[in-house]
This record gives sequence, C-alpha cells and structure tokens, in this order.
Amino acid sequence: MASGFAINNKSGFAIETEGLTRVFRNRWANTELRAVDNVSLQVPEGCTFGLLGANGAGKTTFVKMLLSSVHPTSGTARIFGRHAQDASSRRSVGYLPENHRFPTYMTGWGMLDFYGALSGMDSASRKRKIPEMLTTVGLDERAWHTRLGKYSKGMLQRVGLGQAMLHAPRLLVLDEPSDGVDPVGRKQIRDVLQALEQQGVTIFLNSHLLAEVELFCHDVAIIQKGKLSLSGSVKDLTSSGGYRVTACEVPEALISELATRSKAHSVEHGLLELMFSTREQANSAVDSLRANQCEIESLNAIRSTLEEVFIRTVSEKPEGVTDK
Amino acid sequence: MNATLALIRDTFREAFARRIFWGFFGCCTALLLFLIFILRVDVVQGALATISIFGNSLPSTNVENLVQQTQSVIAMVLYFAGMALSVFASAGLVSSVFEPGRIELLLSKPVSRTHLLLGRYAGNVLVVAANILYLVVGSWVIFGIKTGVWGLGFLISSLCTIFVFSVLLAVIVLVGVIWDSAAVAIMVTFAIMILTPILAQKNTLERLLSSEWSRDVVRVLYYTLPKTSDISIIIRHLILNQPVESWMPVWSTGLFGIAVLGLGLWRFNKRSF
Ligand SMILES: Nc1ncnc2c1ncn2[C@@H]1O[C@H](COP(=O)(O)OP(=O)(O)OP(=O)(O)O)[C@@H](O)[C@H]1O
Ligand SMILES: [Mg+2]
Repeated sequence: MASGFAINNKSGFAIETEGLTRVFRNRWANTELRAVDNVSLQVPEGCTFGLLGANGAGKTTFVKMLLSSVHPTSGTARIFGRHAQDASSRRSVGYLPENHRFPTYMTGWGMLDFYGALSGMDSASRKRKIPEMLTTVGLDERAWHTRLGKYSKGMLQRVGLGQAMLHAPRLLVLDEPSDGVDPVGRKQIRDVLQALEQQGVTIFLNSHLLAEVELFCHDVAIIQKGKLSLSGSVKDLTSSGGYRVTACEVPEALISELATRSKAHSVEHGLLELMFSTREQANSAVDSLRANQCEIESLNAIRSTLEEVFIRTVSEKPEGVTDK
Repeated sequence: MNATLALIRDTFREAFARRIFWGFFGCCTALLLFLIFILRVDVVQGALATISIFGNSLPSTNVENLVQQTQSVIAMVLYFAGMALSVFASAGLVSSVFEPGRIELLLSKPVSRTHLLLGRYAGNVLVVAANILYLVVGSWVIFGIKTGVWGLGFLISSLCTIFVFSVLLAVIVLVGVIWDSAAVAIMVTFAIMILTPILAQKNTLERLLSSEWSRDVVRVLYYTLPKTSDISIIIRHLILNQPVESWMPVWSTGLFGIAVLGLGLWRFNKRSF
C-alpha cells in the first residue's frame, strides 16, 4: 500500500499528540470546559490501543481532534508523522464514529461505495472489495441493497465498521465499535480486528467494555476529566495487584515482624499468608523467611482485572484535577 | 476527481430520496405534456398561423412573438416559483450534511473541507440545473417542432435562472454552516427574494424617503444584495429578443455570491463538529 507514508513517518508512531487541549466555552453561561486537557500520547505503529475513561471524560473529543473534525484549542496531533490538519494525513485512516448517523437513503453497498470513493479508492477496486467487506462484517447478501433506514442497530454498526476498513487503512480509529452488537457479533468483530492486527494495522479503540479491551488491546490509557491519568501496557497494569507469599512453621516473632512490612497477613492452620504491594518487599520477606529456615509454600503475583485498575484509577483523584 | 464525482452523485441520490424533487420533476413533466398535447399550431404560409389552446383558435399574425411571450411566461414562473421550490428543497440538502454523526465521518476522509463543501454545492446546483434544463430544453424543443421558432433567448435565460439559484444557494450554505438550520436558511433566502424587488424600486424609494441616511441604506442594500428582480427583467428581454441595457445586476449578483460562498467556506473550515 501507500509506502510513501512509511518513509515520511520517521517517528514510527501512528498517533502522536503533544499537549493536545480543547476547551469548550459557553458564552451565555460564561463557563469553560476543558474536555481534553494537555494530553500527550504516543501510539506506536502496529499497536492495539484502548482509550478508557468515564462518560464525558473526553475520549470522543480526543479522537475527533485526531481526525480534525474538532479543532484543538492548543497542542498538536500527528498521524503517521503528518499534521492532523493536513487532509492527506487521513488517507490511511479508517474511522467509525460514536453515535453515527449514516444517511438513510443509502444502501449498504452504496454507502461503502460513497465513503470508499472519498477515501481515494477507484471504482474498479471498490467493485471488487465491497462484496468481500460486506461478507467480512457479517452482513447478509439480502441486506446489501437494502436502504440503511431499514437496518437494525447492529447491522448499522457492522456496515459502519466495513466502511472504516474498506480502503485497507493502516490506522483504524473506532469509537465504541461493539455498541449495539450482539455477543456473537462482538466475537466476529474481535476476530476481524485481530486478523487486521496480525497484518500490522494500528487499532485505536474507545470503549467502555473493559473485558473486551483487556482481551484485545496491548496498550491502554485512562483519561479522566480530560487529563491523561494512566497509561501503559495491559500486562503491566493488570499485574500490579501485588504479591502473595505463603509459608509454614513460622515463629511468632517473625510473624509479627513480617506483619508490619506487609499490606495484610493471616495465619490459618499454621499457614502464614502475607500480601505485599511490590516485588522487592515480597522478595525481602522470602529472604527473612528462608534465613529462619521456614518453608515457602507459594509465591505468586496477583493479577487484577482491567476493570479493577480502571475503577481504582478513576476513584482516585489524579494530580491537578480539581473539582470546580 | 473521484471524490468530487462521489459527492455530486451522492447529492443526486439524496435529492431523489426526497419527495420535493420528485414534485418539482412532476410539475415540469406535467407542463411539458401540456405543451405537447394541448398546444396546437397550424402554420399557414410561414408567419401566418393559428394557435389553438384547449381547442379555441387564436388568430395570430406573428407566431414568433406569441411563442416568445409564452416562453417568457414559463421562464417567469420558473424564475419565481421554481426558484422558491428549489430553495426550499436545497436548504434540507445543505443542512443534512452538518448533522452530527454524519459530518464527523465525512471530515475524517482525506478530502479537504473546502472540497467537501464545494462538492456538495456543485451537486446541489447540478440537481436544480438538471430540473430547470429538463423543463426549458424540453419545452424549447416542443415549441421549435410545433412552430419552427428556435430562438436561443429562452435557453440563455435558463442559464440566468440557474445562475441566480447558485447565488441563493451560497446564502443557504452560509446560513447552514453558521446555524445548522434549514428553516433559518429558507427564511433568510426568502427574505432576500422578497426584499430585492422592493429595493429594485430604488428611485421611487429614494423619493419617498426623507432622510439622507435612509436613502444611503437603500442604496447600499440595493448594490450589495443579489438583484433577483432586475435579472428577471433581463431574462424577459433575452427571450423577447430585446437589447439588455445593463449587465450590472448580473455581475454584481455574481460578486455577492462569490463573497457569500467564500464566507461560508471560511466558516466551515474554522468550525468544530
Ligand atoms: N461540541 C461541544 N460543545 C460543548 N461541550 C462539548 C462538546 N462536545 C463535547 N463536549 C463536552 O466535553 C466533554 C467530553 O465529551 P466526550 O464526548 O469527549 O466524552 P466521552 O469520553 O467520549 O464520553 P462517553 O464515554 O460518554 O462517550 C463532555 O463533558 C461534553 O459535554
Ligand atoms: Mg464518547
């Protein structure tokens, strides 16, 4: 495909933002809302990235700035090294908006044809790709020439996804892609996206379905009241649940000493269970136990689900975020 | 080019998904059928002829004049009623593009905002032009075949009508971009269409108005706003083969259109959706 982009894109990032900020001002009420506040984010090429946040956190606004339908108040956004304001930066981007309203007079086929043409596809390749794509997203052949006004919500979501993928983009930006899709359909969508991931397509996802994000995304960021409050790989974030050490035949004196160093402890049937927040603490406890000839029963890292990480992060107040 | 064609084709699809355009098309077809079946002309010895409408013969000494008169009536109906209908239908076509949930996706395509809006604008002008040309060319051919009068004035006049529509469409685009509302766009455009025939009586108005500043206001409004009423007179002159005194109303209206469209594009580029 468009190999010219790869040459231009020296940074190697599919998405790169610097201090991206959008302030919505309401002149009548004289209020100001910092929907996205100084967000600097880098998404490497080929990554599957999930942007999480509570309702109204600013996820959609952030995505809209990437695609320049919202102009930033300050800061910059780059797509494959090109300024987001530059129309050509969007040549290899596919986008599925949240709360989309596709024109009802179009048919499924006609819609892919129209958006495919706008994405720069010629008519021969559209004719070839459209039936493939409609099949890929699981739309029945009967629906191809039906007007979108008669589509169900899940069907609209599917055809919308097809529209985003039709021109073989190198970056897919999906705002709540599985909204309104049944569980089987979600699995299908995930499979399609996973296949794209294998081909090296960068996927940027906004979603509330944390279990799904955990299954699918490699990296995530959490945005809170417009500010980026946490980002990292799903693996690292979910492994920070702490460490559990269990040992038997521990002398009373040592138990009380270790108890002061641990987050929590319990003794049951002669088995001591200790919880530590960091690996170092767990290791030093093991050292003390071994020095006293105690038997280590088990040592393991406790994984928390992404949901737990999310709830924990969102219920803490991030630095600099104050209630107005 | 691909994108431009797609935008124009899409405008046609959306237009034909709306009943109002079929209504317009139906009216044109009815008029053409009327001309085909009701109007009968028997040309006797060249210029001498009888024209019969509804079976009543009208003796006529000058077929050409009669045809021209009829054409100018058609052109005027098209110019005022057809224009109003087109404005009414187009306001919805323009504002539908700015619907939330639809505009974001359009803007995410690798097409500049100027290109997107101009594509839609061109599509809309072409939809209306197709309708107008269908009626005008159709009736011109019918007149030509039945009477042998093939004057080009009627055809040229239809271009004037399309031109004035494209200027009014620029107003619709500007209002649509600012307020997102088809209703407001229709109101503003109609206000202009109603105001300009009044302003066209500039000389009378100036005599009626007492204060100098109110006369200035009238003059400024007259020269800046599109001169729909003056252009209707030009159209009549074209059809009746009379000389056109001044083309100023046309070019100044064109300037107005370019300025308004430019403003609309500027606003569209600045706006967040
Ligand atoms: N055009 C706008 N004008 C004014 N305020 C806006 C506008 N768009 C968004 N906002 C505000 O910006 C904030 C962030 O909205 P955004 O849609 O980005 O949230 P979100 O994270 O996508 O939420 P959700 O999870 O509900 O989709 C909200 O408080 C919203 O009210
Ligand atoms: Mg959102």
